[in-house]
Amino acid sequence: MSGYKQVSRPLLLLCRQKALVQEARIHAPTVSRGFTSSRPLRDESLSEAASSPTVALDPALVSTPREEKILMRMGVKPIGSRRRRAALQTCANVPFEQLPYQCFQEARKILLADREEKLREIELERARIARLKEQDAAVSGGEAQKQVRLRSMMDRLERLKILADINDPVVRKRYEDGKGDMNKPIYRYLADKEWRRYRRPLLVQRITQMAVAPDILPHLDPVVDVRLAFGRRNVQPGDFVNSRVSEMPPKLRVQVFDKGERLVSIAIVDPDVPDIESDAFKYRCHFLAANIRLSPTEASLPLSKLSGDTQILLPWLPPFVQKGSPYHRYSVFLLLQPDRKELDVASLRETVERDGFNLRSFTGKHSLRPVGVNMFRGIWDEGTAGVMKRAGVEGANVEFKRRRIEPLKKPVLPLPRKKVEPFWKSR
Amino acid sequence: MLLPRLGSPSWTLISTSRRHAASASIGHGLLNHLCPVTKHPLFFVRHATHKAQGSVNGGKDGPGKRLGAKKSGEQYVIPGNIIFRQRGTLWFPGENCGMGRDHTIYAKEAGYVKYYLDPEKHPKRKYIGVVYERDQKLPLPRNSARRRRLSLVATVMSEESQEKLEDNLTMSASDVSGVRQQSSGNDAKGLGRHEQLEMSRGYMYRESNWQIGRTAEKSGVKVKPFKPGDRWAAWRKSTARKARNAERRGMRR
Repeated sequence: MSGYKQVSRPLLLLCRQKALVQEARIHAPTVSRGFTSSRPLRDESLSEAASSPTVALDPALVSTPREEKILMRMGVKPIGSRRRRAALQTCANVPFEQLPYQCFQEARKILLADREEKLREIELERARIARLKEQDAAVSGGEAQKQVRLRSMMDRLERLKILADINDPVVRKRYEDGKGDMNKPIYRYLADKEWRRYRRPLLVQRITQMAVAPDILPHLDPVVDVRLAFGRRNVQPGDFVNSRVSEMPPKLRVQVFDKGERLVSIAIVDPDVPDIESDAFKYRCHFLAANIRLSPTEASLPLSKLSGDTQILLPWLPPFVQKGSPYHRYSVFLLLQPDRKELDVASLRETVERDGFNLRSFTGKHSLRPVGVNMFRGIWDEGTAGVMKRAGVEGANVEFKRRRIEPLKKPVLPLPRKKVEPFWKSR
Repeated sequence: MLLPRLGSPSWTLISTSRRHAASASIGHGLLNHLCPVTKHPLFFVRHATHKAQGSVNGGKDGPGKRLGAKKSGEQYVIPGNIIFRQRGTLWFPGENCGMGRDHTIYAKEAGYVKYYLDPEKHPKRKYIGVVYERDQKLPLPRNSARRRRLSLVATVMSEESQEKLEDNLTMSASDVSGVRQQSSGNDAKGLGRHEQLEMSRGYMYRESNWQIGRTAEKSGVKVKPFKPGDRWAAWRKSTARKARNAERRGMRR
């Protein structure tokens, strides 16, 4: 029995009396249950689920890990937190409009009035924008001035759209349930806010501390949420990933927070390849693809599913770190292609090289803008040799060792000792 | 120096006589009889407020601590060389330098010492760095890639570790769990016990806690379940314990 159940047990016991009375009245369990404590109902549903797993459990109501597991196995994700789902079991699912709380309803009226006002303002702003667009540039103070005004008005319009919905409890609920429509500005705004609260600062900290920013690209300001996963293993920014896990290409989840479709390129670069000749490190590109369509609604981006003909420039090369070499940083970059202009994959494929790949010059040449970034790390482990063999890479038996540096001072040799005869012999 | 006054001045006499009159009116004449204020001469001593002896004002000049620069600008250093000894952080470690427990700056790479300011990093701090080329300037521009040197040599692995590699070649992603190979083949090869164990957080090979928890279960140890309120069992246990302790005490003597 988990904590919250223990806590709510006396309450449930109290409720059960009511429930029994109600059940006696209703006789049959219905979908919209009133103030039932639902123990009998839940038992029933449990036994149903146990007997025939095909019977659907309600993803909004399951509250035990067992039920959740059954649902997850069926490919359905439980909605919201377990605490909330447990609470929903015992409360009637009355819509907000019908809740019998006077103060709540008065507050809702205020929020609705505010929303109406915002909608009026939106209409007004749209009319203004349309008028300005039609206006002659000479009247509105030159073309540049007109564009500036237009841009600021569009910004205000976007802001108003968000303000209209930001206080709506239903919107919040839908967002938290993961059912928000990313085509609507309010859900994109909420997702962006959530990302910027924790995940983005963490990512920025990792890429600055591990010096991804000056080592591979001069400056990084991520505006797109990029998540990495190898199969079922989610990778946090900067995690060490076992070489056997990273043998297959990763799955990206890319969430953009502004509207519209765009084309991006993806590059995975390792800046820590040991270069014995120059006694330094060089770059290697482990994956390069271009012309990938991205929109706010399509987040999933498995690299293995990209088209080999039209998108992939350099196919996936599994990360490998030779023994003794310091850890390698594998950085994933999402590069925005300007004006949705496609890159010529066929011709690029001949010029781009894996070893010594310089992302600075590549982005400069094609005027790509880095919008998203993520990274993981790798180090020599027991599976690396196998990974290298399967990938057809030489040098699994190479081990890097510290180079001896000559001391500045010459070592002082000990003076030759004088041999002293024992006194009994000298006598 | 103030000398104690021998006779009481005239104003004390006046004040006491007044007090006599006042107290008499309230009815406390007895108290004045017992504590005649006027008969005490006024004694006091002025103590020294500034200590003059002992260890207070000494210790002005101890031995020097040999602080300061041990390597000057553009001097060649190798890893571990001490560049600057200081109390506190007069200088901060910059490129390829580290700072010791007592704020000593030392070199982490072989190269040439540079003393420099880095206003973009910190407006006031002074840094000591080591560069590979003598004519290189510090600080580097903020957006340029760091200059790094490999400082490693490539060698061919020992035959023993190459043999190990051959064993590992067949491992796949499903084997990944951070656990060393636990197959029965290991025992045949005579690997030690710690070879089969997992490397835990504290860099030691030990069984994980859940495995330790299962030890009793594995070896079939049965423990009587504890029954709260079973006074008979409690009494037996406590008498046994007392007897044991008494015996132990007897052995000690």
